Amino acid sequence: MADSEELRETIALMKRELDTLRQDAVHSRTLLDALDSLLTVGDKDDPFASVFEVLLPMFDAILVIVLAHADSDDQVMKCIAASDTTLVGSLWQPDARLQKALNGRVVATLGGHDLGACMISGDLHANQEQPALYLPLTHQHNRRGLLLLLRKSGLPGFDRSHMALAHKFSLLASHALAARSAQHSEVESQRLKQLTDQLTDSQRALAYRANHDQLTGLPNRAYIQELVAERLTQKRPGDKFALAFIDLDDFKRVNDVYGHTTGDALLRGIADRVRTQIRGDDILGRISGDEFVLVLDPFDEKNKIVSMIERISDLLKQPFDLNGVQVKASGSIGVALYPAHGRDYETLRRNADTAMYRTKLTAKGTVGFFNRALGRSMSERLRLEQQLRAAFNARMFRCALQAKVAIRSGRVFGFETLLRWVDADGNVRLPGTFLPIASDLGLLDGIALLQLEELLSALPRLDQRFGENMLYSFNVSAAQASRPGFMKALIGRITQSGRGRNFTLELTEESLLRADNFRNHILPLLRDTGIGIAIDDFGTGYSSLSMLAELTVDEIKIDRSFITHIQSRPHQQSILHAIESLGRTFGIRLIAEGIETKDELAWLLDNSGLLAAQGFFFHRPAFIADLVDTDQPGDALVPPAIRQAIGRQRTPPPRNIQLDQNLL
Amino acid sequence: MVSVHSISACATDTVTALHALEQEAAALDVAADFLCVFYDEIHDDQLIHDFLAARFPGVPVLGGTSYRGTMTDKGMSGDASISIFLIADPDGEYGVGLVEFAGDAASAAERALRLALEQAGCVGELPALIWLYQAPGHEEEVIAGLHRIVGDRCPIIGGTAADRGIAGRWRQLGPEGYMKNGVAVGALFPSGEVSIAFQGGYEPTGQSGVITQIANADLTDPARTSEVGAESAGTSNYGRAILTIDGEPAAAVYNHWLGGALDHKQIGDSLAADTTMCPLGIDAGKIGGITQYLVIHPNRLLENGALSTFANIKEGVRVFSMRGDPERLVERAGKAAALAVAGLPGGAKNFAGGLVSYCHGNRLAIGEQKIDQVTMALSESFAGMPFVGCFTFGEQGQMLGYNTHGNLMISVVAFGR
Repeated sequence: MADSEELRETIALMKRELDTLRQDAVHSRTLLDALDSLLTVGDKDDPFASVFEVLLPMFDAILVIVLAHADSDDQVMKCIAASDTTLVGSLWQPDARLQKALNGRVVATLGGHDLGACMISGDLHANQEQPALYLPLTHQHNRRGLLLLLRKSGLPGFDRSHMALAHKFSLLASHALAARSAQHSEVESQRLKQLTDQLTDSQRALAYRANHDQLTGLPNRAYIQELVAERLTQKRPGDKFALAFIDLDDFKRVNDVYGHTTGDALLRGIADRVRTQIRGDDILGRISGDEFVLVLDPFDEKNKIVSMIERISDLLKQPFDLNGVQVKASGSIGVALYPAHGRDYETLRRNADTAMYRTKLTAKGTVGFFNRALGRSMSERLRLEQQLRAAFNARMFRCALQAKVAIRSGRVFGFETLLRWVDADGNVRLPGTFLPIASDLGLLDGIALLQLEELLSALPRLDQRFGENMLYSFNVSAAQASRPGFMKALIGRITQSGRGRNFTLELTEESLLRADNFRNHILPLLRDTGIGIAIDDFGTGYSSLSMLAELTVDEIKIDRSFITHIQSRPHQQSILHAIESLGRTFGIRLIAEGIETKDELAWLLDNSGLLAAQGFFFHRPAFIADLVDTDQPGDALVPPAIRQAIGRQRTPPPRNIQLDQNLL
Repeated sequence: MVSVHSISACATDTVTALHALEQEAAALDVAADFLCVFYDEIHDDQLIHDFLAARFPGVPVLGGTSYRGTMTDKGMSGDASISIFLIADPDGEYGVGLVEFAGDAASAAERALRLALEQAGCVGELPALIWLYQAPGHEEEVIAGLHRIVGDRCPIIGGTAADRGIAGRWRQLGPEGYMKNGVAVGALFPSGEVSIAFQGGYEPTGQSGVITQIANADLTDPARTSEVGAESAGTSNYGRAILTIDGEPAAAVYNHWLGGALDHKQIGDSLAADTTMCPLGIDAGKIGGITQYLVIHPNRLLENGALSTFANIKEGVRVFSMRGDPERLVERAGKAAALAVAGLPGGAKNFAGGLVSYCHGNRLAIGEQKIDQVTMALSESFAGMPFVGCFTFGEQGQMLGYNTHGNLMISVVAFGR
């Protein structure tokens, strides 16, 4: 949650800052143009004519009027300039609202304003509904004045951003007019030049800030898009360039381990190193936290681009010395070529991103080029994501059960709960085809709870066929095990059903090792509620003896890789015996996974002390409805083949195995 | 030049509290141009109003009851507190209108704004900010009414008056007195700049559904719903009782999303405290391709498996299951305050003081032991400058350029010098 919240917040902040900077930059540019117009016209010319050309489009206005007091004591005002020149010379009596502008306030009207009522002479072609904006203006010899802007009727009124711009314009225009009226005295000229220079610098600085990443000084997301768009307009047939998407590997770890200061230093270091490898016309930009875009423009032969990008990739792998800390980094790089892989920035960036994503999955820290097959595969993934979201909302996930069998009696003593997606066409999809994407989409917890709900609601019917003592095991991923919120919801739901003792959670070794949260907060809860713990796929991870002792797991499921063809693999046989010994030492129930043949079962029966197993040889996973909608007794689930195999059993189990008689 | 001040007093007896406030106000010795007052429901509104009218004659005032007291830059003011937010700004213009919801709440809000503009002496002018305080239940209509006049051209910020038990004991206070079912609207034209922030602190869990049937709910009647009424907008019904999500009873779907956390609830039971960490959310638009969510707080379990909320939702809208975290709600207060301050031209150097609406649901979620951390986070972001905060049943603010009402939010106004 923290990550997505931070991402949302960072983007919102960046957007707000960028909008402000861009607005300031536009304001600054506009003001500069207007100021320039005021200062460059000759003394005898109307100083406002060129200003109006700037102001009218900027404010989306159709009429500008400048009023000034004939002299400081006179209450009557005179129109000294207007975009409608017929108004020049008209006389006005300011009402309370115009008086506010004269007193220094910028005012935007909510509706219209009956300006006609303020006119003493002249003919104003305006109606009361036209939105208006008034701003103060100090004119020649410090005489007070004001400037009115009117929009067309029906247009929205002026808003806060217009008022902010009007406020700035009011100040600067007043300065400029004062300077003109001082007939460019030496002091005024210097002051004005200083003002103009400051504004020019500020406009440059604002434009730079709006377009560049503050940390690295590189072009930002919006600016690089503009730069590439500009390049694209200049391209002729036959021109080629490459766009590379660089994503740092495990950058979050750098921040977590070394802190954000070092993380920021690494980003600067990366930018500096890449800069050293590119040519003058190439563009490097940082588009988000740990993502850079590199445009190599132009290129004639692909192999030159390949060697250049690989050189950059190698360079990123060299250690960075950051304030005395040696940090190793790498970047996964995807490349798209213009025009083969796209003719606009967005397509090229997306395709380079796709190539990077594939590279990160298959060979982190290397370079991959986009190709059409990759594009198809990404489209397929997007389609699958949409289908998966729709399937989740339509609750198209179903619970399947696979029997766990006591191999020396042939009795079914429990089931592993498995997940299936039955799509709109009725096809049954296996978890491997959709769980990773469901996890990326954040749907995994919801799907798991749906699955549990189906199982709980079917328990009365399952009890009827198999009895109330069946054990149901439920798979929990490592990521889920580390989320206390999800685990508490899961455990809470099982507990509410009053059947906690019928349930076992199957966790991988990884989840038990990595999740302190699980060990400290969830494990005690499981113990209190009677829900068992099983280690799934045992032998493929990094379980330690101390962990087994500390966690007091109830069940170990020996990974199928040790069971497959065990009758002909002496090495696996030795490992199996070692695991058996471990199980005996800690009093943990052992289950062999993946029994698929009669020979595998026969070997286990004759040469091991194992009591329980699971696999296609006994039972293929079946939907709950198929299991319960039958009149046959529960034992009929075990096929005749296993009964025959058990009938051949010659060797009794070793005496030192503690049999759980109630269960097996 | 704008200066902002906060004064506060805590006593179960209103007269005693006002006496303490009088002493603080005398010590402050500034000429007020605008006041906000927030207080716990136990206090006597008329006494508070009379005190303000005598102490600050003719000064526009706006406020009302706040859930279990108030907070200021000095910390939590106590369950029985009264706090006053005071702006001294001789070059600014301020006005407040208070109107009862008799019939159409949107029209009442519109009238209140017109009164406020009149008092400010700014009829027909766009304010820098509208700050409002209202009775629960008509928040969207109030915004719609104000929208008729100002659109989204200026921010509408504020809160929904609260009592201690969602029991109809909330009140609103304005220049002419106080009422139980109305809206106080302030039109602010300060001589300095203003900046706002409006934020929640929740993330989607991945579960969602489409609202397939909606009705109205009565906030004070625990279990009842009624047909969607005249306030239906266009062809989409909207209301505060979600009857079904994806065609199934809304409460069951929501309970399922929560893993059965509401199994023990009966019809009419309040859900406010149980769901502060797992409210609902709706898509409020995107920034940079990332969805922003407006949070909706479930209120009660209704008959027929319906679910009432503290904000209107439209039929056909996708509603998301959200989750929060107490630590982050504490941090969020500080972040929202920092964002508002940063939005002022000149940033913190230009900051004079702040006004905060903090959702009572967030306070429930954080717990009374940690609520002091919220005032500390706010004080830190405000760099020790004065602020006053009220605890509300809903918050109004601007999100993605639109004025809106949300739940479990924090709305902050930063006033520039």
